Amino acid sequence: MILKKTRYRNSISKRLTTRVLVVSALIFTLTFTAFLRMAANKVREEVSKHAHSELSSTIHQIDAILKSVEIAVENMAWIVPHELESPDAMYEITMQLLKNNEFIYGSSVAFEPNYFSEKGYYFSPYAYKDKSEGIKYKQLGNESYDYHYMDWYQIPKLLKEAYWTEPYYDDGGGEAMMTTYSKPLYDEEGNMYAVITADISLEWLTGLVGDIHAFNQSYNLMVSRNASFIVHPNRNLILNETIFSSTYGEYDESLKKMQEDMLNCKASEVLREKDGHKFFVFYAPVETNCWSVAIVCPLSELYAGVKRLRGFLIILGVAALVIMIILSYNGIRKVVAPIEDFSSAAMKIADGDFNVSLPEIRTQDELKELHDSFEHLQKSLVKYIDELKTTTANKERIESELRIAHAIQMGMIPKIFPPFPERNDLSLSAKLVPAKEVGGDLYDFFIENEKLYFIIGDVSGKGVPASLVMAVTCRLFRSIASHFDKPEEIIASLNDSLSDGNESNMFCTAFLGIMDLATGKLLYCNAGHNAPLLIGPGKKVKEMKVTPNLPLGLFGGFPYEGESITIEKDSMIYLFTDGVNEAENREKLQYGDDRLASLLESLSSQGPTEIVKATFDDVKEHANGAEQSDDITVMCIKYI
Amino acid sequence: MKKRLTLLFILCLIFAAGHAQKFVFSPQWTPQSQFAGYYVAYEKGYYKEAGLDVQIIHPTSSYSTINMLKDNKCNVMTSELIQAMMACDQGLNLTNIMQTTQHSTLVLMSRKKGVKEMADIAGSRVGTWKVGFNEIPHMIDDEQKLGIEWIKQLNAINIYIAGAVDATLAKSYNEQILFSMSGVTPGSVLKFSELGFDFPEDGLYVKEEFYERYPEQCRQFAEASRKGWEWARENRKEALDIVMKYVTAEKVATNLYHQKWMLEEILEVQEDKKGEQPSYVLKRDDFERMNKTLLKYKYISAPVEYDRFIGGKQ
Repeated sequence: MILKKTRYRNSISKRLTTRVLVVSALIFTLTFTAFLRMAANKVREEVSKHAHSELSSTIHQIDAILKSVEIAVENMAWIVPHELESPDAMYEITMQLLKNNEFIYGSSVAFEPNYFSEKGYYFSPYAYKDKSEGIKYKQLGNESYDYHYMDWYQIPKLLKEAYWTEPYYDDGGGEAMMTTYSKPLYDEEGNMYAVITADISLEWLTGLVGDIHAFNQSYNLMVSRNASFIVHPNRNLILNETIFSSTYGEYDESLKKMQEDMLNCKASEVLREKDGHKFFVFYAPVETNCWSVAIVCPLSELYAGVKRLRGFLIILGVAALVIMIILSYNGIRKVVAPIEDFSSAAMKIADGDFNVSLPEIRTQDELKELHDSFEHLQKSLVKYIDELKTTTANKERIESELRIAHAIQMGMIPKIFPPFPERNDLSLSAKLVPAKEVGGDLYDFFIENEKLYFIIGDVSGKGVPASLVMAVTCRLFRSIASHFDKPEEIIASLNDSLSDGNESNMFCTAFLGIMDLATGKLLYCNAGHNAPLLIGPGKKVKEMKVTPNLPLGLFGGFPYEGESITIEKDSMIYLFTDGVNEAENREKLQYGDDRLASLLESLSSQGPTEIVKATFDDVKEHANGAEQSDDITVMCIKYI
Repeated sequence: MKKRLTLLFILCLIFAAGHAQKFVFSPQWTPQSQFAGYYVAYEKGYYKEAGLDVQIIHPTSSYSTINMLKDNKCNVMTSELIQAMMACDQGLNLTNIMQTTQHSTLVLMSRKKGVKEMADIAGSRVGTWKVGFNEIPHMIDDEQKLGIEWIKQLNAINIYIAGAVDATLAKSYNEQILFSMSGVTPGSVLKFSELGFDFPEDGLYVKEEFYERYPEQCRQFAEASRKGWEWARENRKEALDIVMKYVTAEKVATNLYHQKWMLEEILEVQEDKKGEQPSYVLKRDDFERMNKTLLKYKYISAPVEYDRFIGGKQ
């Protein structure tokens, strides 16, 4: 047989590799996902920290400027009550304020209606910086500019505290965005009589806020308390739009949070989504006036690093998996290869090549164990086969000997039938079929002095020991029978010979008869054998009356009793061993005496040859293929 | 003589044909969607088609529309019904040539939650426009003696955000939208239309003597304005663009979104009943209810006559 290495579609290597791949991919994915999530969170934390630090630094600068203005106003405000006697001195105060602080563009001391009777309803001395002419002054209030209703006047008055106005475009002066700080002034009775103000341009805010470079793609903005843009990259939005104007009627949670935080002067951050783009808004309030500075950054930029890392990790993961597949497949193949070698070695052993060389295993593991087991198997098989060869040879020898013994045994009994063709007063037939090569049944007959000596016997046991006793019995019968006239004497003599030295306690049942062929008188002696049957024409088959006595070989000197009967002409004596009536079929049912009797009755008109043959045929039919367990012997004698 | 008269008549006809009637129109505030229909009528040439040479002039904070009309600086103006009727009572006889809005847009926005009626804000400090529009809240305050401290203001939002007032009056088409755009959510919004004061507001007015002199031109002006409003209703986006053109020209600090929602609100209150086409007519019932209310609270001394107020026909 040619051994071919089979490539399996679903080999162990592929199965294990697939399993390793799936588990590894799962672990990789979980690990990478967790790692990326952690990285994203960390990035967010860092980004937030960075953004708020940038915001806080800018806000600090804004606060410093606004506070310097507040201080400048404070420093001049205390002079006002001392100069109420001369209202025009207010012009000096306001001009001084402008000189004291470079950020202050204009300043006024605006009085309640008719505070000075000589100045009328409106009196608001105002100094301002003119681009070309330096510091100039004028009186602000008139019918078309009723300052009493302006935020910078009205709100601090109502609040009873200093107030930074919402940013506004200055119509009069430099077309600049301004805010005004107003501080209410009270007389000794606690009544407000004027506010002192400082207007500052907010153009510097654009630079300051615009200069925050927190992130590459981020932009910055600033909104006032009413959410109007003060700083925005799109200048058209400034003071025209609020952060909520474009989303009017579509409040979402992040906007709501931002709105509440900004109105409550809180720093925080929200994640917004607009037109499919996500971006972070980090915001923090200016302490002085609660305006908010915000950094807007697209999420894509913040997480660009994480995204790159993700791409890198995916490539790394895929590469690692590919390498792992190759390595693990090869590794597993290497481990599994000896199994294939073992398999082919086993096939060779099965084909008889016991000395086939086994794959070499250097590792001390399960494969080594398999190798050792195979080696042991190989050795055991060689030993076993050697033993088997010897045993087979022995068996063949014994079988051959037994075949010879069989031939010898069969040679000891008469087998030529009819035995006495010259005689017409006697017809005889017999057959012996041993269960094994040799058996313990026996029959024999001869005629001397017109007397027919015959014997049928059955040695206890089967096989070789029984055959030896049978051979002895047969030889003794031949040699001593003619020396005695009476069957019981012959039996007694046989018994004595067999009993002598019978250490193995073998015994032999036998029926021995001497028939006077002239008269038909039969003298007989039974030694423990089954009684022969008498078949007469038109008569029932009947058992011959016999004294049982003891089988031969048990007790030497046993007094055997002889008997006699006269056989009628045309009658038959049917002798058999228990192999006939005790023959078993597959169901262990015996052939039985009754079946034998009825068979014989049906054959009463036939001759001995037919009866013997019919008996064997019927027994064979009964056995129905069951193995013959005992020697079968039949002898039929017809007296004519 | 007969020849001379004929010549004069012909000359008059030539003059009339060559010189369209000059109409100076003044809406009662700076450019915004509240006046979209008029800007559309002008831009689409509806006034010109009617043979009217219209000029639009906006008031300033110190020179109101009604003063301009008094001084003949304008011929036609927009006004709320209540102010027009009070002006009549005070001797400035006005004729309503068209009624645009049919419902009250007045609301009260309060920091306090759960405000269901004016009594809920008794004793509070409430912002109101310096220029008016506050007669009805004042009536309720006076009648119920709520002791409200009214703070006249120019800008409702900043004063409210600063915390200087507890509540403020607002127009649903203007300040209410601005509040929202500033991120301010008031605790309560009280609609006067739901308190039994759902009166028509904006309309077109001319002096009675002007109407008597130019009734046909006034009718044509009203008709062209109506066309303008109808076009704006059908072409809101384009109408908004026209409004923004005026807004930009006058440098009004506002934005597209504010004007968009203002237009939506104005168009809604123009409908007599929600979903219906506007009639642009001042209905006698509404007028008489207003008469009754103003008389009750002594805002007018005698009832204003409906038929005279609408020029005897509409």
